[in-house]
Amino acid sequence: MGGSAPELDSLVRDTDFFRSLVENGSDAIVSIDTNSTILYANQAVERVFGYEPDELVGEQLTMIMPDRFHADHFESVEEYLDTGERQLDWNNIRLPAVHKNGHEVDLSITFEEHSYEGKKIFSGIMRDISERVEKQRELERQNERLAEFASLVSHDLRDPLQAAKATTAVAKAGDEDALAELDEIHDRMEALIEDVLSLAKQGQAVGETESISLASVSKRAWSTAGVDTATLDLEESLPTVSADPERLEALLGNLFRNAVEHGSEGVTVDVGLLDSADGFYVADDGAGFDDADTAELFTYGYTTNESGTGFGLSIVAEIAEAHGWEVAATDSAAGGARFEVRT
Amino acid sequence: MTGDDRPRVLAVDDEARVVQAFDIWLGDGFETITATGGHEALEQITEDVDVVLLDRHMPDISGDEVLEQIREQGYDCRVAMVTAVAPEFDIVDMPFDHYISKPIDESELQEIVTRLVEISGYDQRLNDLYRVVQKIATLEDEMTDSRLTHHEEYAALIDKRDRLREQTHELIGEMERDQLDDVFEMIGSEQ
Repeated sequence: MGGSAPELDSLVRDTDFFRSLVENGSDAIVSIDTNSTILYANQAVERVFGYEPDELVGEQLTMIMPDRFHADHFESVEEYLDTGERQLDWNNIRLPAVHKNGHEVDLSITFEEHSYEGKKIFSGIMRDISERVEKQRELERQNERLAEFASLVSHDLRDPLQAAKATTAVAKAGDEDALAELDEIHDRMEALIEDVLSLAKQGQAVGETESISLASVSKRAWSTAGVDTATLDLEESLPTVSADPERLEALLGNLFRNAVEHGSEGVTVDVGLLDSADGFYVADDGAGFDDADTAELFTYGYTTNESGTGFGLSIVAEIAEAHGWEVAATDSAAGGARFEVRT
Repeated sequence: MTGDDRPRVLAVDDEARVVQAFDIWLGDGFETITATGGHEALEQITEDVDVVLLDRHMPDISGDEVLEQIREQGYDCRVAMVTAVAPEFDIVDMPFDHYISKPIDESELQEIVTRLVEISGYDQRLNDLYRVVQKIATLEDEMTDSRLTHHEEYAALIDKRDRLREQTHELIGEMERDQLDDVFEMIGSEQ
């Protein structure tokens, strides 16, 4: 029995009080008889299952249960009636139910057994925890991502850090020339940190998209990523694309940098439209993929260039994904690399 | 031997400064030779090399491949992988003795190399035990408990360690007192 303060005594003795409590509570309550026929459902079932209480009363409980649990349910009820042994935990057990419109809802359920007018009744008090479950999944995904980043950062920084320690030791031992190399090693570490930060940012959802000219974004990206010896060749009448301008620029910038770093000195980079699908390509006449593993290209940290961080193309893939685009690598007509972005 | 009775160490890393520093750090107590690539390492290896310090990620041939070839050619020296590569379960079957995560500094390098030289004088089973204990420690450092417990190779390593501990139990009983602490520390025995 529940307890109550003396001044509430008269109130709680009033059955209307209990009725109102059960009827209007936010948890759905459904009672069944030993044949699993629904005897009672409170108002909250409508919010949780989409049915009016009247639609449920008289029906089998399996109406709100996923098919795969039906057989088990009848078996456990029978087993319990025979032996008194509970087949599962009755307190706060997590089970899915089926909503009127067909989708599953995650519930936390507590079962109660009581008798009413000489009959055995089972009641389930059910709380919709779908939102909580979804949040938890999202959190798990984020944690995995974070663990991946942490491991990448720690391991990718280890090589330059070892090089820095070694170079310092060599300098201390009298080889002053080694000191000059430290700058370069530090730059490498800095580039790595910047790329990883940028990559972490790209994993977030796309901000406001707008219709922007592919030609002008390409020129802007080239102004920071390109070099004087290389040429940017834009196809005439490039259209506009719907994208987050800042991130499209980052995507193009990383593709341009990739072409410049892996191509020969006078590399030419083309931007044009795909023939076969919506989207655009960035192609160069450089060395092509050669010994690089095209399946691995977009993986974090993959690089064939000793001074590269291996994050550039991962950033490209993240940005494309965030926009719902697909990106693929192939050989260009000129024997160089060609990246296709399907929008 | 080459007339030089100092332990001989072969340091291999594609960063020239790294092997140069290893040479400086190991100092006069060791005779250090260096290679900046896998092919060069395989040219330098001889019966006289006691310890190899081997980078895993190198452009010509990988350290993993070099290790395999060293063993195929029958060299039984101690090998320590010195690397920025995160250890995965693939290390279980790799025939190295120690896994060093970069960056390493002078004192740590000296300590590990000294220990490796020392155990090479002991019974083969103690060396096997050392190898297994090292791998377990490396995996435990890197991985979550749930990943470890779900992995058969890890369970197999633990079994192997326990078997080797039993087998070496007597052996250790016969050793000199002053060697004992050293040995226990090396093999992580709980005795």
